[in-house]
Amino acid sequence: MSTKQIDPRGPRFGAAITTVLLATDIFLALDSTTADAAFILLVAITALFAIGAIFGNAKHPYGWIFKNLIRPRLGNPKELEDAAAPQFAQGVGLFVAGAGVILHIFGVPNAVVIAAGAAFVAAFLNSVFNYCLGCQIYFRLKRLRVIR
Amino acid sequence: MPVETRLLALAALVAFAALAGLVWRATTGRARRIVAGQQVNLNDLGAFKNGQPVTSFGSKVTFLQFSGEFCTQCPPTARVLGELEAKTPGALHIEVDITNRLDLANRFNILQTPTTLVLDKNGIVKSRISGAPKTTTLESELGTFAI
Repeated sequence: MSTKQIDPRGPRFGAAITTVLLATDIFLALDSTTADAAFILLVAITALFAIGAIFGNAKHPYGWIFKNLIRPRLGNPKELEDAAAPQFAQGVGLFVAGAGVILHIFGVPNAVVIAAGAAFVAAFLNSVFNYCLGCQIYFRLKRLRVIR
Repeated sequence: MPVETRLLALAALVAFAALAGLVWRATTGRARRIVAGQQVNLNDLGAFKNGQPVTSFGSKVTFLQFSGEFCTQCPPTARVLGELEAKTPGALHIEVDITNRLDLANRFNILQTPTTLVLDKNGIVKSRISGAPKTTTLESELGTFAI
């Protein structure tokens, strides 16, 4: 387990921005005249998930915004959390959004809106309810041998 | 697709996610009674507490917490159960990291972390709490052991 500790409100703040971006993406994807814009936005969201999954929340643009603009206005957190958990959640986001991008490129209809919808639900639950994807699915995937 | 229809679709999605979140919050951390629960074997568990192997159960109740990697709820749960142990004579809290103990995950059917098994003085599983335990749940669990 990683020993790096972060303020748990950072990832939740990032998830809130992601939620808004994904809602915008769904709105764009539902109309044929803005479908291309929706695809490009999903590519951008996928890239942001990749930064979070590979480099962690601290090096993510949202993490930077939280640390420099939001955190100074808040009190100290009740407790810190392991940085690895939100990083895992970013990896799940990368998988879902990335699948939408790839399936769209291969011409699968509605790939963008379905992927954005699924990622939206996860990001919404994370930001509003503090739902922790790592708690819920890590051992399910491990026991199914999807991940080692 | 008209703007109104798209906004309606988004609103439906938000409502679905909110409902899912409310259901999750209402159900997580509650105890489920286990009838004829299995006997926990401490040797096999390989649990350590304060650097020492755990060799006996709590004289009244044991909270066996399974934790793992990528789990934001696990450290707060360990803190709450540790505090409960400190103020409750006869109660013991054990935390086991199952990241590399899939055998335990399979044996106790752990699907999410934290999962806490409530054991009686003989180490028999009496109930199971999935997710961070609610305070009221812990109080009523202690109540069933007449504490």
